[in-house]
Amino acid sequence: MQFKFTKFATALIASGIISLPLAAHANDSSELEELRALVQQLDQKVKILARQGEISAEETAAVKKTTPVVKASENGFGLESADGKNSIKLKGLLQIDNRNFSDVNGLGGDGKNISGFDFRRIRPTIEGTVFGKYDFRFTPEFGEAKTASATSTSGIVDAYIDARFQPSFKVRAGKFKPFVGLERLQSGSDIKFIERSYVSNNILPNRDLGAAIHGDVLEGKLNYSVGIYNGVVDGGDITTVQDTNVDKEYAARLFTTPFKDSDSVLAGLGFGLAATHGNFKGSIATGASGLPAYKTAGQQSSFFAYTTGSVFANGVRERISPQAYYYYGPFGVITEYARVSQDVTNGTISDKLENDAWQIAVSYLLTGEDASFKGVKPIQVFNTDGGGWGAWELVARYQENNIDSKAFQTSSLAPTGYADPRVNASSAKSWATGVNWYLNQNVKVVLNYEQTSFKGGGSSTSGLFTSIADRPDEKALFTRLQLSY
Amino acid sequence: MKKSLLAIALLAAAFGAAAPLTASAKDISLLNVSYDPTRELYQDFNAAFSKFWLAKTGDKVTVKGSHGGSGKQARAIIDGLDADVATLALAYDVDQLQEKGKLIPKDWQTRLPHNSSPYTSTIVLLVRKGNPKNIKDWDDLVKPGVSVITPNPKTSGGARWNYLAAWAYAQKHDGNDEAKTKEFIGKLFKNVPVLDTGARGSTTTFVERGIGDVLLAWENEAFLAQKELGVGKFEIVVPSLSILAEPPVTVVDKFAKKHGTEVVAKAYLEYLYTEEGQEIAAKNYYRPTLASVAKKYESQFPKVNLVKIDNDFGGWQVAQKKHFADGGTFDQIYQK
Repeated sequence: MQFKFTKFATALIASGIISLPLAAHANDSSELEELRALVQQLDQKVKILARQGEISAEETAAVKKTTPVVKASENGFGLESADGKNSIKLKGLLQIDNRNFSDVNGLGGDGKNISGFDFRRIRPTIEGTVFGKYDFRFTPEFGEAKTASATSTSGIVDAYIDARFQPSFKVRAGKFKPFVGLERLQSGSDIKFIERSYVSNNILPNRDLGAAIHGDVLEGKLNYSVGIYNGVVDGGDITTVQDTNVDKEYAARLFTTPFKDSDSVLAGLGFGLAATHGNFKGSIATGASGLPAYKTAGQQSSFFAYTTGSVFANGVRERISPQAYYYYGPFGVITEYARVSQDVTNGTISDKLENDAWQIAVSYLLTGEDASFKGVKPIQVFNTDGGGWGAWELVARYQENNIDSKAFQTSSLAPTGYADPRVNASSAKSWATGVNWYLNQNVKVVLNYEQTSFKGGGSSTSGLFTSIADRPDEKALFTRLQLSY
Repeated sequence: MKKSLLAIALLAAAFGAAAPLTASAKDISLLNVSYDPTRELYQDFNAAFSKFWLAKTGDKVTVKGSHGGSGKQARAIIDGLDADVATLALAYDVDQLQEKGKLIPKDWQTRLPHNSSPYTSTIVLLVRKGNPKNIKDWDDLVKPGVSVITPNPKTSGGARWNYLAAWAYAQKHDGNDEAKTKEFIGKLFKNVPVLDTGARGSTTTFVERGIGDVLLAWENEAFLAQKELGVGKFEIVVPSLSILAEPPVTVVDKFAKKHGTEVVAKAYLEYLYTEEGQEIAAKNYYRPTLASVAKKYESQFPKVNLVKIDNDFGGWQVAQKKHFADGGTFDQIYQK
């Protein structure tokens, strides 16, 4: 800048513009001196102006370094301090479902499967970070899921603090998804089907209050977690009120992605093992049986529930769950198994019952995107004004939920079991297929068809515990419009 | 109950296992947040200290420096800049770390010799070669047509020393008539065309941008400009009266404790008082406080009649409130 102005002044003199009067007074040295002084004054003024501009720019840059940054993008909206150590984000998940059941009066004619529209999830989320390492998340629920679980009356889905001391050592406390189920740990906006499998919904914990240590070691290839929680029934989501159970539940999980970040065809492979151990005794006095009810794939009614009023949890509850996923190019597969063993009592008898569930689900992206455990980002977003069609994905799943045969009564004369086989099925087997249309990374349309067959639970014409019919199949056609950001 | 205790023990063990990861590091990093013209001094000093500490302990110390206007730097530390040590231009700025940030103890100034000032300096006048405006003393700076370069006393420690040196001169010559002294300072600042935020910025304005007839400068900065930035282009004019500038240093206890660097941070500052540290200061034109080194470099520093902040201004707290706080004399006389 200074160089330019100096050159400019020199050029003016050289070209004669300033020196024109000198032609008439070539020998007038005093006037020449005056002109020289004038040029010097002007030169100083120009330099001062240029320097003031520099200082102003420096000050603007300094202010910018301390000015918070406003962010607005497809990843959400938020504010972040200039040093990036403090931030707050507003996120949201909205799912509007249309659920059609062919068996409106199915499941023993109890009329619980009602077709219609449903707000499955309405979840605004506030999350952020303070002091660079303390993350927090708060998510209330305004949708149907608020009361979807028999054990959930809480409107708070997540409320926790996660302290990232080191990548290998983090501490999370509050209400959150216990580090147990693989599909459960997948975000509700990223799951491939409208409902998760029996493994997630019926056996493993949904959300719990507690604290966990977790982290990534071995260059992020091994994820570990150990935690202590209040404890929830199978598939349960806990309220945020004081726990009534003295004993707590412990959970641990190891999950590895040994070929992560390599060029191997196994780069997308992950597998692990999770387990929980807890102790719960239900009683009439506490008003809690401590036992779950297992829902159908359609998630409206239960196909199995323990007899109320007389059957209670009676001690140890243990779960184990091997789990894996694999993603390669547009192809993805996720599979997991879970078994729960539960001490139960019914008057004079008691048993350890073992129920289990498993699932395998595959997905294939038709439009060339890479599949992953996280969401799908279309190569070309859908645009009515020309352009792409978004991302299209085909999905299919098979899943089972099996009840321990010891759970069922064989006689009405004396306690011989823990559930009435005339209204409770001993297994549910479901197959599903569907298509996902990702208009962009924030908007998704889902179409699922799922058919479930049951063993038993379809009433007995004799009224006795023999010759029990199977419940009618559940046939469900679900569609969903989802917005997440 | 037993299981709960077991869980607590597991959690404690996990925390315990993680702790050594931070405590056992052999590569130590220190952040020295300093004022503007100390770049060259601490560049030399940091290298010497790292060498000293490696030989003494086997640990490698990397010292990072942050430089800017002293007041600005103090505010940055208070706002969370994780300084292990602060080496600022004046005690008032260090006091702020205690008063506003609670980052250091109240008695910080007594923890090291010479009120925690390992070196001193003063304020001189740097003019262009041949002294074309014939500037000999402070009263030449208020003459019409003299362009004076000094940074902003609101952000720069050096600028506050400049201001007070001029004030002390005017006060003496005006027989302690404060109205006249204020008028003198007002005239001086009317001759200031550009206010930089720090002393190094003013040096850039004067030396590199070619603006102004005289630069009010730290003595060390004036020497640097004369001998290294523009050899043969500038002359130092020693005024008849100036001020003893005592730039203090301190460990920023709260952050050093957080980083686990208390011991090395303390040793870093103590090393400034050693013969080697004092030699480095003297070579960078700071006046050493160690008698042996001061004697060795006696001829390098001109003799100046110096006033002291404590004796002539009642200390930094009083001076700050009167002159540089919002609504103080500087705000009253300076018309932007």
